[in-house]
Amino acid sequence: MSVFIKHYRPCGLVSGFNNKIWRYNSTTADVATSKNEEDEEFRVLDILKKRDRQQRRVARRADVQPDRADRMAVDQNWGNVWPGPKSFHPSSVPLPLRQGYVPRGQAPPGKKANAELMKIPNFLHLTPPVIKAQCEALKPFCTEWPKLLNSEEAIEKHYPVEIISSDYCHASPSIRNPLARIVTLRIKLSTLNLDKHAKDKFIRLVGDRYDRETDLVTITADRCPVKKQNLDYVNYLLTACYHESWNVEEWEKDKTEDDMEYYDWDKNASKKSLVNWYLRTKNENRELTDEEYVAFDISEIPNGEEYKNAVSNYLNDGESEVTVKNYAKSVRKLLGLPEAKVVT
Amino acid sequence: MNTLRILPKYCCKKTQRFCRLPVSQNRFYARPTSFPDFFQNPVFRKEDQAKLVETTDLSKLAAVPVKPPAVYETCSAYHDPLVNKVINHVMEMGKKQLARSLVEKAFENIKRIQIERYHLASTAEEKNKIELNPKKVLHLAIENSKPLLQLSPIKRGGITYQVPGPITEKRSLFLAIKWLLEATNEKERTIHFPEQFAWELLDAANNTGKVVKKKQDLHRQCEANRAYAHYRWQ
Amino acid sequence: MLSRNWRHLCRRYSQAVTFRTTEASPAQQNEKQIGLFYTMNQETCKQLFSQGGFPKSFQKQTKTFTETAIMIRQPALDLINCIKSSDFNKPAIRYVLYGEKGTGKSLTMAHLLHYAHEDGYLIVHVPWVSEWLRRLPRSKEMSNSQTHEGCVDLPLDAASWLLHFKGQNQHILKTGELKVSKEYVWSKREKTEAGAPLAQLVEHGISRVKYACDVVDALIKEIKTLSHNKQCKTFVAIDGFNSFFYPVTRLSTPTKKKVKPEEVTLTTTFMELTKNDWTNAVILLSADQLAVPDDHQESHFPRYLLYKKGFEHLDPFVPVEVGRYSEKEFLSCASYYRDRLWLRGPPEIDTELKFTSACNPYRFMEQCAPL
Repeated sequence: MSVFIKHYRPCGLVSGFNNKIWRYNSTTADVATSKNEEDEEFRVLDILKKRDRQQRRVARRADVQPDRADRMAVDQNWGNVWPGPKSFHPSSVPLPLRQGYVPRGQAPPGKKANAELMKIPNFLHLTPPVIKAQCEALKPFCTEWPKLLNSEEAIEKHYPVEIISSDYCHASPSIRNPLARIVTLRIKLSTLNLDKHAKDKFIRLVGDRYDRETDLVTITADRCPVKKQNLDYVNYLLTACYHESWNVEEWEKDKTEDDMEYYDWDKNASKKSLVNWYLRTKNENRELTDEEYVAFDISEIPNGEEYKNAVSNYLNDGESEVTVKNYAKSVRKLLGLPEAKVVT
Repeated sequence: MNTLRILPKYCCKKTQRFCRLPVSQNRFYARPTSFPDFFQNPVFRKEDQAKLVETTDLSKLAAVPVKPPAVYETCSAYHDPLVNKVINHVMEMGKKQLARSLVEKAFENIKRIQIERYHLASTAEEKNKIELNPKKVLHLAIENSKPLLQLSPIKRGGITYQVPGPITEKRSLFLAIKWLLEATNEKERTIHFPEQFAWELLDAANNTGKVVKKKQDLHRQCEANRAYAHYRWQ
Repeated sequence: MLSRNWRHLCRRYSQAVTFRTTEASPAQQNEKQIGLFYTMNQETCKQLFSQGGFPKSFQKQTKTFTETAIMIRQPALDLINCIKSSDFNKPAIRYVLYGEKGTGKSLTMAHLLHYAHEDGYLIVHVPWVSEWLRRLPRSKEMSNSQTHEGCVDLPLDAASWLLHFKGQNQHILKTGELKVSKEYVWSKREKTEAGAPLAQLVEHGISRVKYACDVVDALIKEIKTLSHNKQCKTFVAIDGFNSFFYPVTRLSTPTKKKVKPEEVTLTTTFMELTKNDWTNAVILLSADQLAVPDDHQESHFPRYLLYKKGFEHLDPFVPVEVGRYSEKEFLSCASYYRDRLWLRGPPEIDTELKFTSACNPYRFMEQCAPL
């Protein structure tokens, strides 16, 4: 019955029924209270004996020493405290560090028992005074800087090859970093001893490793596991390319005008047509051989030289507003036509 | 949901030099957009902007985020909302560029026909009568082909009656454009859309042709079914 | 009422800028008239361009505008100036018109044709080379050439060109002063004797379509010799000349083999014509992006369009650029369109149109169309 009452919530719909229940309930409750008054004491059976056990437990404070970090002297030698790479330890570092992501408005957790601080690499062993001291210690073993290499130009002149590699120091158990093996070699193409053909071939061999704007060839190697090997490989590549570019293969002679590397006006149809035109203006009807065409001296044609330059520029530099206009100008001069007026 | 969007006053009221027809200049998106409800429609016409400056509504608008204008919402002198509407009606499968080129070609045809007529006309009076602006021709054609009444089927006592009733402005515009395009598409296979559309527009602008006849037929039908009018509310 | 006022306003505006000149003779036009329109005589126009020569869109405009008006532009004046000052005893000079699409290369050519017509040149005009090599109407007819081994004839095209030639040079051919220099034997019964007038040769080509290509070939040779011997002066105008140098044409033989342009007899004929081994002639060509398919339209410069072969064939030639409208030309064109009722609306929209059309004449015309 009581369970029913407990879960029952009065509701307007069944108000008639409701009244009855309440009445019934109240009568039984009245009976119980009258009984209690008659008994003097009701002894409680304490099975678990909770009270005794709670009394026995006394909060005992351990005698904890203050943190080592708090006891450190201000003027101590830090290098002695943290001599080498090691993961973070809160008691050794007298810094109020905090690290961690928290919701807005809260402070990040402190350094103690902070796994994040322990996970990240630290450089506490490489403070500036320590580095300085180490450099001082290494100094006696160094040689003097050559006096003649006093400027950037001098260095570039005597040591044109530049080797770039990176060393990494970090506080992980391994001292090796996979990126340390990469070696880059840089050299100015102009410092290499190459002729026209060799230079062209060298540029083709190195491909996009050559930058036309800065004239630098950059060769990078990262295929070998060790830096030394990569360095050797880079040097080998440069040497191989250099010597290969001096080689002239048989098939290189097959290159024709159609490859359009360079337009040589003297060997082309343009000269032929110019000479033909010139002969026609003088009413000479001669048939020339190819050699005669090539050997024909264009300086006797008025404005011929300028025309030659214009055509070569036109075909070598590519078509653009400027080259076409230039060509038009020279042709007009050649044919004796008035110049085009500039449109205003 | 989209209709619940707050629309500023300037969007609902618009006065255009050419436009006497109610073509709304604001966009209602078919699908939910990335713009929240409080984003305002852009004011892209210079006239509207000048009006804003005058009425000092500008300061209110300055603090409110505004949607970017669509590509067809330009401040060009040639912007016409009705033309844009017609282009959208002509468009199929979202090929708007094609639709636009078709409508513009139709305009070009109208212009050529009218200029030819203009040159053929002998007196100045006749010349003045000829409408040379194709956009005006379009406006006139649509104005002429807009129905004033519509028939709606209402079922009473097991019989469906065609009951005449008033038509909303929007619906009548829709019907006008729809009829014009229907009339245009009833053509020979060899005749191209722009030509036929130009003819239809010119016919409608003259108050003749298939579309105007269709409108008049509808009006007549409404007149004949006048007796059923009370079914609208009974 | 409103529209009438509007129209008056338009008229008044259009009269504010002078856009017309009464100087109808191209030889007399000068620098001051740049940007102005001159009206071509209907008769001349019909004679010169009835068989083509104007772009289609311009042809349409002439009908709508009820007149043929051409703007006097710098390139045309420049060319006329060059032609006037060149020495006709020297080999023929080749001029090549180039420029972006729709800048008016063909119309400049038409202007020059008018000049040549007035100046009494014998006109050899090819309206559009692609018409022969790239257009394939249903009536296209091809046959293997009898005279040139491995070549293809286009008899119908050749015949229609002969008709065009005849129409353009009516007045010169009528006089009968131009004579054929040697005998041509077409078949057992047909031959053209030496000393017959040139018109007879042309007539033969038109009436006997089978021999049209050979007639064209003979005709061109005759013209070259006649011109070289100072019996006439010749004006050669070929529009879309670069079409001759595009590697393939759209023609194909019955065996489905693609025909190269040099395998068409007309190509060889006109190649011969454009060489500079003759005198007393002016050769005006145009290199047009529209004459070649889409894949070769990246640049509008002559070397790119003519290929190496064409460049070497023409070199040395005078490239003449036909550019977009200048400020003045645009204004004059806009007021001309207003006068012809083609453009309407308030005057300030000119700036907008100028911006959107980028001063390109064709695009300007197109954009005015639906307004």
